[in-house]
Amino acid sequence: MEKKDLIEAINKTFVDNLEVEEELLKPEAGLFTDLGLDSLDMVDLMVGLQRKFKISLRQSEEMRKIVTLQDLYDFIEKKEAELRASGVNTQEIVEKINEDSGKE
Amino acid sequence: MTQRRCVITGMGVLSSLGSTPEELYDALRRGDCGIRVMEEWKEQHFGAEKFLGAPVTLSREFVKSIPRSIRRFMSNISLYASYAAAKAVEDSRLAETDLKSPKTGCIIGSTMGGTTAIAEAYRIVTEEGGAENMSSTQFFKSVSHTAVFNVSHLFGITGTVQAPCAACASAVQAVGQARDLIAGGKQDIVLCGGAEELAPEVSGSFEIIYAGVSPSRPRNPKASSRPFDARRVGLVCGEGAGIIVLEELEHALKRGAPIYGEIIGYATCCCGSQISQSDSGAIEQCLRLVYDDAGLEPSRTDYISAHATSTIQGDAAEAAALKNFFGTERKIPVSSLKGHLGHTLGASGTIELIASLMMMKHNEVLPTLNLETPGEGCEGLDYVMGSRPRSVPVSTVLKNSFAFGGINAALLCKKMDT
Repeated sequence: MEKKDLIEAINKTFVDNLEVEEELLKPEAGLFTDLGLDSLDMVDLMVGLQRKFKISLRQSEEMRKIVTLQDLYDFIEKKEAELRASGVNTQEIVEKINEDSGKE
Repeated sequence: MTQRRCVITGMGVLSSLGSTPEELYDALRRGDCGIRVMEEWKEQHFGAEKFLGAPVTLSREFVKSIPRSIRRFMSNISLYASYAAAKAVEDSRLAETDLKSPKTGCIIGSTMGGTTAIAEAYRIVTEEGGAENMSSTQFFKSVSHTAVFNVSHLFGITGTVQAPCAACASAVQAVGQARDLIAGGKQDIVLCGGAEELAPEVSGSFEIIYAGVSPSRPRNPKASSRPFDARRVGLVCGEGAGIIVLEELEHALKRGAPIYGEIIGYATCCCGSQISQSDSGAIEQCLRLVYDDAGLEPSRTDYISAHATSTIQGDAAEAAALKNFFGTERKIPVSSLKGHLGHTLGASGTIELIASLMMMKHNEVLPTLNLETPGEGCEGLDYVMGSRPRSVPVSTVLKNSFAFGGINAALLCKKMDT
């Protein structure tokens, strides 16, 4: 899977589910400071990723350290690579995310 | 201590028959019925069985207009209550300073809270990976006071916020509690009423105790809810919200607010002996209390907006209490609006109060839809029947609401002298 597909899927989640304006989605944007998310949004972001990728992130220390959108891209890219290495078809998951996001 | 007078200065409603008091009233007057087959529940929950219900349609534009920071905590019940509250606030021409005053409160009751969010939470826990996959806002969407805190945050309310949870008596208790707070000087304005969302889990609960119209016995949806009628078999659930702005009289006069009526009496009591069936003795006690509270002679009532939900036992118990309490000297017109709207449970008290205020405005009483022949035990009241409203001066209205748990509540509302 290409990184740009992953970024597109993440950005789509921000626009469709968190109602963040697309032009604000710059890699250096702070999730709390620039995009207006709060701690509950972060929980939902985590839950959304858990459900989509079938992984557990609740105890993830790395997840707690995410500050910018770039940190999130990097974190998810790393997770995607881990999943792919374990034989999971991540392309299919990302396509599903895009498909689900498009419904709302 | 002298009690301050409380008047209704704003009305907002969302129902299966309209989303303004005027729309609702016109539909009721035409004899429309909001009940239909809930096809959308068929696959999801109950196989081949067909439930009836009276669902509302809420505009997507309104939903989108609520900031996401608040909307994410809202399930349907809160959206319905927010819509009705927004309309009531607009109708009452309340200024932002009034809404944000510590002397302005909000009281909204319901039977269940966010029923669909509760059901969804169970589904996530049991079928979708457990509690750790639950949304951060699931709890806020589910709780029994979800409607009242969402509405309060939408309008920046800082006064008293409460959520009576007495099933079908919730809305009347909400108005009654608001009346008490204003009359006693603790609040000047209270947004109050009830809200409820349709859910098969609730409709199924009525059916299982033979209080609902059975989905396995198909019947014409429009003729299924028939309060007081000999052929009634049970209730049909509806949904919606009815919110009024209740305000201290002088406060309302000072700002030139519209005044739709005055709440002159409120009472609530419990039968203390029977949880699932209405008790006519306790209903009568509630009626005695509300007229004592108002200091009003019962014969001066012009219209009784009955609770009558179309259940066999409940309607007969209410009819018995009304006959016994009011006697036979002066017949007072009685009707129930649940033939049109189904039973909107926690919202019914204020949706039907708003319709009664419209009857007061038009000096007419609307008939009970589908009441053709009063059933056994229901005879002897002055039912408004047929398809036409009865023209009659309407200055004083009694609104009854009775709930599972043996809880009764009643309001007396009077037209303001002009």
